[in-house]
Amino acid sequence: MTSGVQQAEEHAATFQAEDDLEAINRLYQERNWGDGLPIIPPTAERVERMLAGTHLARHDVVARLAPAFGAATTERIAINAVMAGCEPRTMPVLIAAVQGLADADFNLQAIQATTNPVAIWVIVSGPLADTLGFNSGWNCLGEGNAANATVGRAVRLLLRNVGGALPGQMDRATQGQPGRYTMCCAENEARSPWPALRAEYGFGADDSTVTVVGIEGTMNMNTHSKQVDELLRVFAETMVHPPSNEYVHGGEPWLMISPEHADICMRGGFGKEQVRQRLWELTKMPARDMAERDLYRARASRRKELGEIQADTLLPISHDPKDIRIMVAGGPGTHSVYIPCFGNSRAATRRIDMPG
Amino acid sequence: MTVCSTTFTGLGRAQSKAMGCAQMPILVIPHPFGTRTRDEIRDIAAQCAEQLMALMAKEKQP
Repeated sequence: MTSGVQQAEEHAATFQAEDDLEAINRLYQERNWGDGLPIIPPTAERVERMLAGTHLARHDVVARLAPAFGAATTERIAINAVMAGCEPRTMPVLIAAVQGLADADFNLQAIQATTNPVAIWVIVSGPLADTLGFNSGWNCLGEGNAANATVGRAVRLLLRNVGGALPGQMDRATQGQPGRYTMCCAENEARSPWPALRAEYGFGADDSTVTVVGIEGTMNMNTHSKQVDELLRVFAETMVHPPSNEYVHGGEPWLMISPEHADICMRGGFGKEQVRQRLWELTKMPARDMAERDLYRARASRRKELGEIQADTLLPISHDPKDIRIMVAGGPGTHSVYIPCFGNSRAATRRIDMPG
Repeated sequence: MTVCSTTFTGLGRAQSKAMGCAQMPILVIPHPFGTRTRDEIRDIAAQCAEQLMALMAKEKQP
């Protein structure tokens, strides 16, 4: 038992199953314990090996996850990590992610129960990203990297199996999106001309962190522009999006900028702050562009921030330019990604604490 | 008590149970709600008034 840490009263149940992978997977599907893809059976031996990846005690409660407020104990995190195919050394990443999910400003309750397609994007920043094998370069949001794929998947399994968000039940997503299977990548710090993402959250260069973000999707921005004013203008035109939670609530839009586009910004004399400020100005949208019902929602949600919104009011995409989040990732190429946020949510960052 | 449209009633009941208020009364209204006109909403409100009063009276009981 770890002093000062809440212990779960209910421990994970065990059951006997036939030693047959296909039969076990059928059982998991029938009981709605999976994500639709085959799982690795979380046998007692595999869970023990996974628990060796962290210094936390088996029954420590890392967090309670909405909407069911199930206890995400070290053991339950390990079970879902095994199911997802994680390596034990990534357990501290998952623990940090779970801590972030429970941050009050992250608003997991709304994220889990909404009709919005919101997915959880897990970003790893810092020296451990390379050590643990996370991909920050080529195809970092795509397939092929075990750490990215399995950690993102384990987070989704935890949201279902511990948070209780089962589609059509407590999870009310109208369509959902593919990112809900898994969405995880690392920051490409080696190719970024700017301070690392974790530095913006107050962490040091030697720290490694996990940031969780509630996102609506991804929009590729392919531009061969070599001029920063033009580059940011077309980025802004992509971000302006009337049926968007960002404009209804004042959100936290994210940009994953490619190394080549980041270099263009730097050559043009733009640090992250200048990029944010320019995008914030360029993305102001006349309120009349919204559907009438959505404008009604925006008036209710943003009155305190903006006063009475009129048809000709210019709505900022976020409350403040600093709410536009920027990170560099990806390989060579002229593609950056606009990643709209859920709106009523703020990303949460936690330090990765490795054992020993 | 709270108000849920039919499609969100299951969520409301599961949520109230998770929060330790399994017996919380829920007024159920037809779904969809957000796309209806104001007149339709007024009609729904009128139709639900009796159920609302009954639930509130029930909640007041010790």
